[in-house]
Amino acid sequence: MFKQSLIKAFLVRFCFTAKMAANGILSNVLRSALTVLGVAIGVASVVGLMGIGEGARLNVMEQFESLGTNVIAIKAHDENYEFQPDKAGELVQRVESLEMATPVVSTDTTMRWRRTTGEVYVLGVNHQFPEIRDHELIAGDFFTQLHVEQRSAVAVLGYSLAINLAGGRSPVGQIISLNGQSYRILGVLEEKGAGNANDIDNKVVIPYTTAQRIEEKRTVEEIWAKTASSKDAELATVQLGRIFQREIGSAPNVPLPSDGNETVEVEGPDMVMVEKPVPEPDKADIPTISRDPITVTNLNQLVDEIDQANRIMTLLLGGIATVALLVGGLGIMNIMLVAVSERTSEIGVRRALGARQTDLMTQFLLEALYVSLIGVICGIVLGIWGLNIFENYGFQTAVSFDAIKIAVVVALGSGLLFGVYPAISASSVPPVEALRRQ
Amino acid sequence: MALLELNDIHKNYLNGNVKVNALKGVSLSIEDGSFVSIMGPSGSGKSTLLNILGCLDTPSRGSYRINDQNVEKLNDAALSDLRNKFIGFVFQQFHLISGLNALENVELPLIYQGVTGKARKEKAQAALEAVGLGDRLYHRQSQLSGGEQQRVAIARAFVKNPKLILADEPTGALDSKASENIMSIFKNLNEEKKITIIQVTHEKSIAECGKIIYHLLDGEINYIEEVQAH
Ligand SMILES: Nc1ncnc2c1ncn2[C@@H]1O[C@H](COP(=O)(O)OP(=O)(O)OP(=O)(O)O)[C@@H](O)[C@H]1O
Ligand SMILES: [Mg+2]
Repeated sequence: MFKQSLIKAFLVRFCFTAKMAANGILSNVLRSALTVLGVAIGVASVVGLMGIGEGARLNVMEQFESLGTNVIAIKAHDENYEFQPDKAGELVQRVESLEMATPVVSTDTTMRWRRTTGEVYVLGVNHQFPEIRDHELIAGDFFTQLHVEQRSAVAVLGYSLAINLAGGRSPVGQIISLNGQSYRILGVLEEKGAGNANDIDNKVVIPYTTAQRIEEKRTVEEIWAKTASSKDAELATVQLGRIFQREIGSAPNVPLPSDGNETVEVEGPDMVMVEKPVPEPDKADIPTISRDPITVTNLNQLVDEIDQANRIMTLLLGGIATVALLVGGLGIMNIMLVAVSERTSEIGVRRALGARQTDLMTQFLLEALYVSLIGVICGIVLGIWGLNIFENYGFQTAVSFDAIKIAVVVALGSGLLFGVYPAISASSVPPVEALRRQ
Repeated sequence: MALLELNDIHKNYLNGNVKVNALKGVSLSIEDGSFVSIMGPSGSGKSTLLNILGCLDTPSRGSYRINDQNVEKLNDAALSDLRNKFIGFVFQQFHLISGLNALENVELPLIYQGVTGKARKEKAQAALEAVGLGDRLYHRQSQLSGGEQQRVAIARAFVKNPKLILADEPTGALDSKASENIMSIFKNLNEEKKITIIQVTHEKSIAECGKIIYHLLDGEINYIEEVQAH
């Protein structure tokens, strides 16, 4: 019974204190509104800038994820190092974690479809391509191993190309002409989005054997391989790196930086990149290879790295905006100090009537908290609204939960922090002093 | 038994480099239920004394006992509660809270006592009716005359049924008619509710509403005058 009445007394007191804090804000609406605006702008800039940063990050992520998961790209940057098409199969045999691989030939051709003509990019791959780069078909089928072996004149169109040519009707079964030769269209790939997945939406995919004939070349410059998991991809990247390092080391008819140590031993399991032999000073005129002739790239890793960089950028933007938020906090401190000095006499009266120091302290802290809370709400709305406008201009944005968390914590925290000093000064005015001042 | 007891109270202020002795050893004891007036020239320390009596200020030296408690030993919360339950204040400038209406102003001390909703409102309303303001419950400070504001302040002072009401020049800003009204309320509170009243005033006629007058001069009690019943 006794305890219950104590709680009740506390509640009555607290509710009144909360009400007085609200009265304080309402007593000068314009001034409070300006302070709220200060906080809101801070919060909005955190939510807005981080949203833009996050949007940019997601955009890049999407682009990279459209490349397919667990893909390893092996690319020759030097004609002398280009691969025999069999190399793809051979690598799958040698490296256990590789599930499949395709030789890749890309070339430019002149296309004709009915009366339309134009330049189109052709991608030559084997039948496993859709699985390797995670492509689905929306119409027809992909070509088969048999088509590859027989160098068939068959083609699969990218989504945008198909729409542009056939205008929404299915082009499957129709004929497209590339460099004067007729190809039967077997299927259409699903949309990946403009610019995504090496712009596959605008390309024609044909068997690599057929593409080699167009290019009049026996070798291929790129191999794409696939593993089952990202762990396998890391493992395979290391193993592939080692394999090619060894091959480059003993490759014929290639000028090497130094004649002494052509074969480099690769033994330690953690030694991925083999040190390039340093040219001796007197042989400095021998041409050096400025770049590895063959690179092995784990696309997953690429995504991770770029994602990391973008995250840092987003945080940086958030950090800058947080400064604006702190300035908003200073605004709170400013009006709280004015409010305290304006209401000194009222404070004295309340003290005479029985208000404790803690009551006044709570009141002014609550007042600061109200301002920052309203500021936070307005700021979040303002920020999201701003992001919407930004999005209408074609930018990708994202309302990041992190940004809202940061904004709420910093705004309420700074509201409290900057409210503490005015609150203490309000509660520590001696009652007589407060009454004497008018 | 004395309701309050001052023993050799000193109060010094430092005005720049000049030390002002506002009170120089005041000792007095006031019985429960008395009606005391304090008079004296301006600057003689009347307000200072009243503020110390009301626990709004602390003496520089000397001891003060109220209701068997040594004020020096109380912390802020205890002092606040003492002011809240025990003492009602009436000021020359009324000191109503401008954001609240008459009823809410009178409810204030009850809020700090934790009295809830309906009971609180009824008590406050009864107090306002007792000072003749039953029809001004929802007026704000700016909508009330000086005399009315002071009556609201008095209602606020006695609504919690205190032992003691302290009034610093309660009629200082009012004309003689309004002053008379205030005095009759005080007399009534003193006689009917047995509330002890201590008031500071410059006017002899107001001072004579009390039963005893302390005359201050230069921070000391000059002489004590008993008021003849008339
Ligand atoms: N906060 C203060 N700082 C410095 N001096 C003060 C302070 N308060 C009061 N005094 C001085 O103390 C003396 C007594 O002041 P007090 O207000 O008690 O006088 P009073 O008798 O109430 O005068 P009045 O009739 O004019 O109200 C005065 O000389 C005044 O200047
Ligand atoms: Mg005075």
